[in-house]
Amino acid sequence: MRKSKDDSPDARKSPRPVDRRSFLKSAAVGAAVIAANPAASRAQQVEARNAARVVPPAPIPPEAEIGAPSRLEVLTESRSGSDFMVDVIKSLGIEYVCSNPGASFRGLHESVINYGGNKNPEFITCCHEESSVAMAHGYAKIEGKPIAVFAHGTVGLQHASMAIYNAWCDRAPVYMIIGNIVDATKRISAVEWAHSVQDAAAMVRDFVKWDDLPASLPHFAESAVRAYKIAMTPPTLPVLLVADAELQENPIPDDLALHIPKLGQLAPPVGDPAAIAEAARMLVAAQNPVLIADRLGRTPAGMKNLVDLAEALQAPVVSRPGRMNFPSRHPLNQSDRANALVGQADVILGLEMIDFWGSLNASRDQMRRTSVPLTKNGVKLISINSDDLFTKSNYQDFDRFPEVDLAIAADGEATLPSLTEAVKRLLTDDNRRAFQQRGAQFAAARQQSLERAREAAAYGWDASPISTARLCAEVWNQIKDRDWSLVSATTMINNWPQRLWNMDKHYQYIGAQGGYGIGYGAPAAAGAALANRKYGRLSVNIQCDGDLMYAPGILWTTAHHKIPLLSVMHNNRAYHQEVMQVQIMADRHNRGVDRAVIGTTINQPNVDFAKVAQGMGIYAEGPISDPKDLGPAIKRALEVVNRGEPALLDVLTQPR
Amino acid sequence: MMIRPMRIALPAVLMTAFVILCAQSRPVQSQPTPGAQNAPAGNADKGKDAFNARMCAACHGPAGQGAVGPQLAPPGRLFPDFVQKVRQPAGKMPPFNAQALPDAQLADIYAYLQAANPGAASNLSSLTGDAQNGGRIFVSDGCYECHGRVGQGAQQTGAPRIAPPALTIDGFARYIHAPTGNMPPYTSKVVPDQAVADIYAFLKSLPPPPPVKDIPLLNQ
Repeated sequence: MRKSKDDSPDARKSPRPVDRRSFLKSAAVGAAVIAANPAASRAQQVEARNAARVVPPAPIPPEAEIGAPSRLEVLTESRSGSDFMVDVIKSLGIEYVCSNPGASFRGLHESVINYGGNKNPEFITCCHEESSVAMAHGYAKIEGKPIAVFAHGTVGLQHASMAIYNAWCDRAPVYMIIGNIVDATKRISAVEWAHSVQDAAAMVRDFVKWDDLPASLPHFAESAVRAYKIAMTPPTLPVLLVADAELQENPIPDDLALHIPKLGQLAPPVGDPAAIAEAARMLVAAQNPVLIADRLGRTPAGMKNLVDLAEALQAPVVSRPGRMNFPSRHPLNQSDRANALVGQADVILGLEMIDFWGSLNASRDQMRRTSVPLTKNGVKLISINSDDLFTKSNYQDFDRFPEVDLAIAADGEATLPSLTEAVKRLLTDDNRRAFQQRGAQFAAARQQSLERAREAAAYGWDASPISTARLCAEVWNQIKDRDWSLVSATTMINNWPQRLWNMDKHYQYIGAQGGYGIGYGAPAAAGAALANRKYGRLSVNIQCDGDLMYAPGILWTTAHHKIPLLSVMHNNRAYHQEVMQVQIMADRHNRGVDRAVIGTTINQPNVDFAKVAQGMGIYAEGPISDPKDLGPAIKRALEVVNRGEPALLDVLTQPR
Repeated sequence: MMIRPMRIALPAVLMTAFVILCAQSRPVQSQPTPGAQNAPAGNADKGKDAFNARMCAACHGPAGQGAVGPQLAPPGRLFPDFVQKVRQPAGKMPPFNAQALPDAQLADIYAYLQAANPGAASNLSSLTGDAQNGGRIFVSDGCYECHGRVGQGAQQTGAPRIAPPALTIDGFARYIHAPTGNMPPYTSKVVPDQAVADIYAFLKSLPPPPPVKDIPLLNQ
C-alpha cells in the first residue's frame, strides 16, 4: 500500500511525489491557504501527523486568495502509475475498455485516452456497468479473447455483478479492473468513503476465476499478466483486478524498476492419451454412437474438429445451443432428432456439455416433479469437459451429476484432433463400409428435418403479430449472401435460424446468456458487433423487448461509437417466459389464468422502441405488425447498417 | 444506481412436452369419438386380431386400456394423426411402416379401439362450438402463450401445433383437463365443456397454411 509521502523512502530519495489526496485537499480546499499562509499549512501537517491532538481547521482569511506563494507546491506530474498500467494492458493486446466513467479509476481512464492514445485499448462509453460486462462477454465469443471493463469497486461492481455471473456461467473471459481507495486516510469525502471497500472482489469471488489486489506497480504488472493467462486457459472465465486509486494516480518513482512479464503462448489442456484411446475404442465399436456438443465451439477450430470426428465415424451430431458447434445443414447434423437418437444410442460422447444429465433425461414440471431417462439400458457415456478442471461450490451452475463411464477433464475443442486421429487408427475397411451406410441414412433424415422445419414455418406465415418463423425467414432472405454474424440467442425464437438458415461459420452464432440473466442480449450483441466491425461482417441481433428494457442506454453506445448492428426486435410485449410460469401456478391452483398477465406483460402503455432508439440517435422503424411490411423495412435498415451505423426495427411478434 | 433484479428463464428442457402418444392416456372415458368420421370404415373384429398379432396389446393392454404404453381406447386422436404416430412414434414405441401394418389394418384397429372401451358418455360432441368465442377464449385463457395465436406451436415451449386439431374433441378435452406432459392442467372449472367446444371450433376454423412450395422465402 502507498505510504504517507513524508515517510516514504522514495520521498526522501527523489523529488517529492505529489500525493493525490493532498493535491485534492490543497486544490479544493486549501491550496491558496498553503500558498499564502505557510504557517497554516504547517499547522495542518502537524495535525495530520498527530491524530491525538484535535485542532479545529484554521479559517481561510480572504487575503489568502491573492497572496504570493512563498513555496510552490508540485501540482503536476509527467507520468503516473496508471500510465504504466495502460502499458501493461496494451501488452496483452486488449482492444477496448468498456466502462461507465467513475472517479475511483479516473487515473486509468485518463491514461487510456491520453497516454495510450485511446487506441488498443479504446474507451467505449457505456451507460451501465451491466452493459459494459455484457459487451465484453459478447466480444469474447466472437474474438476469442477478452476486453477490459473498468468499474467502481463498489457501486459499479454491484451493477456489473449479474453480467459477470452470466459470463461465468457461459465460460467467457472478461477482464475486470475495478477502482478502489484502499488506504482509509486517503479518502477525502463521503463519496470516496462510500465508494471504498475493504475487499472489493469479495462480492463476486464466487463467480470469477481469480482476483487480486496489487500493492505496487510491479505487482500490478505480474497480476495483470497472470489474470489474463488464467482467464484464457480453459475453462475460460472472468477475472478481476483491483486498481488502487493511489497506485493509479501517484507518480512512478524514478528509481522503480518496472517490468511487464511475458505472457507466452497458452496451450489449452488436452485429454489424457490413454483416456482418448479408450474413448476412440468405444466410439468405433458402437453401433449407434451419438455426439452431443454444447459449449464446444470456443474458436473457429471447434466446428472444424467436430466435423472431422463426426465424418470419421459417420456419427450423428446433436448441436446444443451453447455455441456454434456444427454446420446447420451438414448431413450429420441431427439436432432436432436428439431425443430419438439418445434413445437408440449405445455410446454417447458429450462435448463441453452444460447439462449432460438434462440432455439424457426428460423432466416434467408438474406438482410432483419427475424425470425419466431417455437412454436405453447399458448406454456408455463419455464426457470431455473443461468444467471438470475448475468448479466452485456456492453457485450451482455445475448442473446435475451425470453418471459418465469415461470423464476426460480437458478442453473439448483442443482434445478432438487427437481423438479423431485415434479413431482413424482403429478403422478397418469393414468399419468404413458400415459407417458410410450409417451416414447415408442420416443424410436423408437431415433433408427430411429441413422439410419439416419449412412446413412448420408455414403455419402462421401471414399471422399478425408476426410469427418468429416469418421474422427469421425475412431476415435470412436479406443476409444470406453476405458475410453475416448472428449475435443473439435463438431459444426464444424457437431456434428458427438453426432450423432454416445455412450456418457454417464459427461467428454465425454465439450462444446465450449463460446464467439466464436477462439484460444480456442487447449489450452482448453490441460487443459482438464491435468485434465483427473490423472484419466488415454484418452483425444481426434478434432482440427481445424485455431484455432491452433493462439497460436501453446501450443503444446510445452503439450510435456513439458507430457500431454497425441490425437489431430486429422480437417484441411480444411481455416477459413472456414469466407469463407462462405464472400461468402454470394459476392452473395448478385452479384459479383461472386471466390475471397471469399482471406483473409479466410490458404494455399499457406499449413501449415504442422505434422512438426510444431514435432518441438515442439510431435509425429505427416500427412498430411493424404486418408481415408484408417487414422485408422492405429490413432492406431500408440494412442500408443504414451498410454505412457503418446501427439500426433497429421494432417488430410485433408472436409470443414464441 | 440500482441493481436490476436477475431474471431466470426456465430452461426450455423443462417445457418439453410428453404429449405425443401420452395424450391418449387419460382416465376419463367417452363414447366413440367423432374421430370415426375421419377414419375409413374398419372391421373391429379384424382389428382385435391385428391388435394382438402386432403385439400392440403387449404394451397397451388387450383392450387398449393402457399398460406399459398409454391408453389407446377410445382413440383420442383423429385417424390421420393416429396413423402418423404409428408410423413415426415418439419415445420408445417401435415404428410400424405401411408394409408391416397397412393403413387398412390400422383402420380395423382404430375401429376396434373405438368399440373396445366406449366408456362414459360425453356430451362434448353434441355441443356446437362458437369459433369466434373460441378465438377469444384462446387468448384470454392463455392458450396462445405456448401454442401461438394461430395454434402453430412453439419449439421453445414444447407446445405442439394444435391447429388443425389432431385430437378428437374428447381427446382434446381429456388432455387439457389432465395433461400427461408439461402443459398445466385446465380443469373443467377453468375451461368448461362449452369453452372446450368453442376453442375446438376455433382451431378447426383456422385456414391451412400456404404450401411451402408457394413461399419463396422457405425455399432457399
